[in-house]
Amino acid sequence: MASINSITSLSIPQVCENVSRKFTRAALNAAGSREKLPTISNPKVLGAVDWIGKKLSSAENRLILGASALLSQPFIDASNKDVDSETRRYSICRTIAKIIAGTATGYTIRKLCIKSIDAFTKSVNEIKPDMKFKKLRTLLTPTLKYTADELSQYKNTLGTILALGVMVFTNFLIDAPLTKALTNWFAKLGGNHNVKSE
Amino acid sequence: MLNPSKLFENFKNTILTKYGPNPAKMLIYTGVLGWFLSSAAQVVAIAVNDKIPKEQKMFLIPQEIGDGAINVVSFFLVTTAIKNFASRLVSSGKLASPKIRQYLTDSGINIKTKKGWKVLPNFDFSKFDIKNMTNFDLIKDEYNSFKNGIDVIAMTAGSILSCNIITPILRNKYAAKRQQKTLAEMNKVNMDRMQYPRGISMDTYRNQAALKYSGSPLKI
Repeated sequence: MASINSITSLSIPQVCENVSRKFTRAALNAAGSREKLPTISNPKVLGAVDWIGKKLSSAENRLILGASALLSQPFIDASNKDVDSETRRYSICRTIAKIIAGTATGYTIRKLCIKSIDAFTKSVNEIKPDMKFKKLRTLLTPTLKYTADELSQYKNTLGTILALGVMVFTNFLIDAPLTKALTNWFAKLGGNHNVKSE
Repeated sequence: MLNPSKLFENFKNTILTKYGPNPAKMLIYTGVLGWFLSSAAQVVAIAVNDKIPKEQKMFLIPQEIGDGAINVVSFFLVTTAIKNFASRLVSSGKLASPKIRQYLTDSGINIKTKKGWKVLPNFDFSKFDIKNMTNFDLIKDEYNSFKNGIDVIAMTAGSILSCNIITPILRNKYAAKRQQKTLAEMNKVNMDRMQYPRGISMDTYRNQAALKYSGSPLKI
C-alpha cells in the first residue's frame, strides 16, 4: 500500500526523472573502463565545450534542432510505407513546411525576447548616463548575488519563458498559417497528384 | 497578505538559483512547453486547411497529436536520460578536463599511469560525486563550466535523437494506424446507410479491400 501511495504521489516528470536516474546509474557502471579514464585535453574542444555551456541559449538550440530535423524527418516520412503515396507526399511537404516555419519563428522570437530581457536586466554599474528608461533597466535584475555566467543563463531563461508566452499567440498567428501556406506551395511544386472524383 | 513586489523578487531569485547554474535543465523544461504549444497550433492549422483532402487530414491530425505527445514523453525519457548520464560521467570523474583530472589526482581519487589515468579497483563510480569532496571549492568554477558545457551538448544530442528520429518514426506508425481505423469506420457507416439495392460498387469494393487490416490489398 505504501509503495502504491508513493507511486501515485509522483508527477509524470518525477517518474520520468526517476526512470532516467536508474538508467543513468546502470549505464555509468557499465560504461568505460577503470583503467583508462577519458580526459578531453584538446584546447579547441575544451573551448567549444566551455562556449556551449555559457553561450548556447534556447534560440540557438532551436536552430540546431531545426537544421537536424530537415536532415532527418523528411526522409523518415518518405520511407513510411504504412500510408499511400499521396498521404506520404502531403506528409513530407507538411513536415518540411512545419520545420521551416517553426524554426524561423521559434529562433527569431526566442532571440528577440532574450534581447529584450537583457535590456532590463542591467546591473547598476552597467547603466550609462545617456541610457533611456534608466529606472526600468534594473527591473528584472535579481537581488541575490550572482556570477556573470549565472546572470547570462538567467537572462536566457527569462527570455525563453517570455518567448513561450509570445509563442502562444504567434504559433496561431504566424507558425500555423505559414506552415499551411508553405505546405500548399510545396505540394503545388511537387505537382498535385490528388484526383478528387467528386 | 500577498505582496506582489515580494512575489516578483522571489520569482526572479528562484529562476536565478534554479536555472542560472543549470542551463540544460531550463532547455529541457522550456523545450517541452514549446513543443506542446507548437503541436496545438499545428493541429488547428491542419484542421482549418481546406486544401488538404479529408483522407490526408485523417492521417495528419493524429500525426500531429502523436508528434506532440510522443515528443513530450521522449523529451523527458530520452533527453533527460542522456543529459543525466553525461552529467554523471562528469560528476563521477569518469569524464574530465585536464584541470579536473589533475585535481582528482591530487586528491588521491585518480592515479596517473603511463597510459593515462585510472582509479583503484574497488572504487565505486555510482557513489562518488566530486561536489561532495571537502576541497571542492578549489575546482568549483572549472567544474561548473565544464559540466554545463557537457550537459548542454548531451541535452542537444538527446533532443535531436528524441525529436528528430524517435518521434517521427513512432508518430508515423501511430498516425497510419489511426488513419486506417478511421477510414474503415467511415466506410462502414457509408455501407450501413446504403439504400436498396444494397451492394457495393467496384470502386467501394477496391477501397474496402485496400483498407483490410490483415495484409496487403491483393490478399483479400
